[in-house]
Amino acid sequence: MTAVALPKASEEAWKYTPVAEIEAARRAAVPAADESVTRTTLDDLAGDLGCPRLVFVNGRASRDLSDRVPAGVRIGAVPSAATLMIAADVDVETPLHIVHVSVPRDLRSLSHPRSLVHAAPGSHVAVVETYCGSPGPALTEASTEIRVGSAARVEYVRIQVEPDDAIHIGRTRVEQGEASAVHLTSVTSGGDIARQQIDVRLPGSDARTDLDGLYLPARQQRHDTVVRVDHAASRGTTTQRFKGVVDDHARGSFSGHVIVRPGTTGNDAQQANHNLLLSPTAEADTRPWLEIFADEVRCTHGATVGRLDGDALFYLRSRGIPLSQSRDLLVSGFTAEILDTISLPTAREWLAHGVARRSPERRR
Amino acid sequence: MLHIDHLRIGVVGKTILDGLDLDVAAGEVHVIMGPNGAGKTTLANVLAGRDGYDVSGRVLFDGVDLLALTPEERAAAGLFLAFQHPIEIPGVGNMYFLRTAVNAVRAARGFEEISARDFLTLAKEHMARLGMDPAFLSRSVNDGFSGGEKKRNEILQMSLLEPRLAILDETDSGLDIDALRAVADGIQRLRTPDRSFLIITHHRRLLDDIRPDQVHVLSRGRVVRSGDQRLASELEAHGYGPTLAGTSA
Repeated sequence: MTAVALPKASEEAWKYTPVAEIEAARRAAVPAADESVTRTTLDDLAGDLGCPRLVFVNGRASRDLSDRVPAGVRIGAVPSAATLMIAADVDVETPLHIVHVSVPRDLRSLSHPRSLVHAAPGSHVAVVETYCGSPGPALTEASTEIRVGSAARVEYVRIQVEPDDAIHIGRTRVEQGEASAVHLTSVTSGGDIARQQIDVRLPGSDARTDLDGLYLPARQQRHDTVVRVDHAASRGTTTQRFKGVVDDHARGSFSGHVIVRPGTTGNDAQQANHNLLLSPTAEADTRPWLEIFADEVRCTHGATVGRLDGDALFYLRSRGIPLSQSRDLLVSGFTAEILDTISLPTAREWLAHGVARRSPERRR
Repeated sequence: MLHIDHLRIGVVGKTILDGLDLDVAAGEVHVIMGPNGAGKTTLANVLAGRDGYDVSGRVLFDGVDLLALTPEERAAAGLFLAFQHPIEIPGVGNMYFLRTAVNAVRAARGFEEISARDFLTLAKEHMARLGMDPAFLSRSVNDGFSGGEKKRNEILQMSLLEPRLAILDETDSGLDIDALRAVADGIQRLRTPDRSFLIITHHRRLLDDIRPDQVHVLSRGRVVRSGDQRLASELEAHGYGPTLAGTSA
């Protein structure tokens, strides 16, 4: 099966995605083989966040590397999908870490990681999902569904750190019941082409959704983030706060789509997208897209594309901090606003180091 | 220590400093006063290495060609500029910033790095003397600081970086009495026989405590008058008008 149906390049939501290249990669792709990785490799690629892991290699569950899940969580029997069922009114205190490792061979290796997080009414869970892999031409078509029952709360962190030659097409679907709350943080640093689509539907009233994200393309990478928030009920509150740091010849793009359905009242939708260009050949595209069909609504959006602040750079250098280190400090200051929203300290720290490692000379 | 020889500074075709000469010996405190637009801040920025200016002339710092150095090399060599308007850097913790700066300068001077724990102790000591709440360590650099807090943070950086020459650009402007006292004390504590100061100010007040060796009046890109501390009192009483009228500028 295919996780994501590819559209025609003309379709709005795919405006910034190099669809022809993805189609060519798909034609050349073979199903990813059965592979395994060592625990050391796993720690190296995905970090040890100090919480139970569910590990999938090339889309298949790895029993050897996976841990037991805490009480109140039921995992699905299908070996090709991560299914987490949280029972009603259960507060799962331990965060869960789903790790998808791609291990490609010489040919374009296609895998379909799939996850389902089902939080029953009144429950609470925190999930980190990491996409990583060993170098090689992987094609990852990932799909995650998050269903949130009424008054349930879900914190979800999505980390995509696949190697530079991977192609990653991801889709995260969130559906929220009445008075539920979701905080989603997405960090994208890997992949030659990396697309990440987040669809949020609020069929229940009084729901809250906070979407934070960071994309860090460098070298020749192309990162595309597409968000769609659908206020289908009344009194929903959604925030989108996405930041891009684009270096070298890379391209980062963001499309933020907000729909407020007719007949709803009291919806509040905020959107912000700020980009930092670190090189003259870097490119950032930002596109808000608001479809408001209701009268009583509050909607704000703001977008910027800028460069490092010359005054701040001079200030740091005048204190003896060398130029490259000063730039890194300013970049980490820019990204801190997003990373600081992650409540799991181990994930936050691992990512902060990752941001510092984003340039090739620092990876060595 | 600092030898400025016929320094000319222009920006986008406009001359700001027009052949400035100045000598500051080790241990001396020099004050630069002058009307707005005289080029005082430009001088401070150029000495600290800010780019965007056309600069000619010669500046020697301990015998080294200062103008050939990057801003970070100047800091490592012992030059410090307290900014007139300290920059706010959201997202960068003040503690981390201070320690990174201290360790960068220590590394360049051939000293070992200082550990996070030792640095915390050191920073708290300095902050206590400046009357700064240690809570300022966990905030972002200057972010949301009041005017006085920003200036105290500048003096904190100065005392941690232990410069040979400190340039203070209107550090005393806009301060209440307590903050002014903290800044003056901070400067006084750092005075040693081999550390020099170049203080840019509009007010005599700070000088009452500091007792400078020389006061210079800068106007139209040159030093038009030099004297001792009495010159500052005279300027405060009568303004720049009589002094400037008496020059051929």
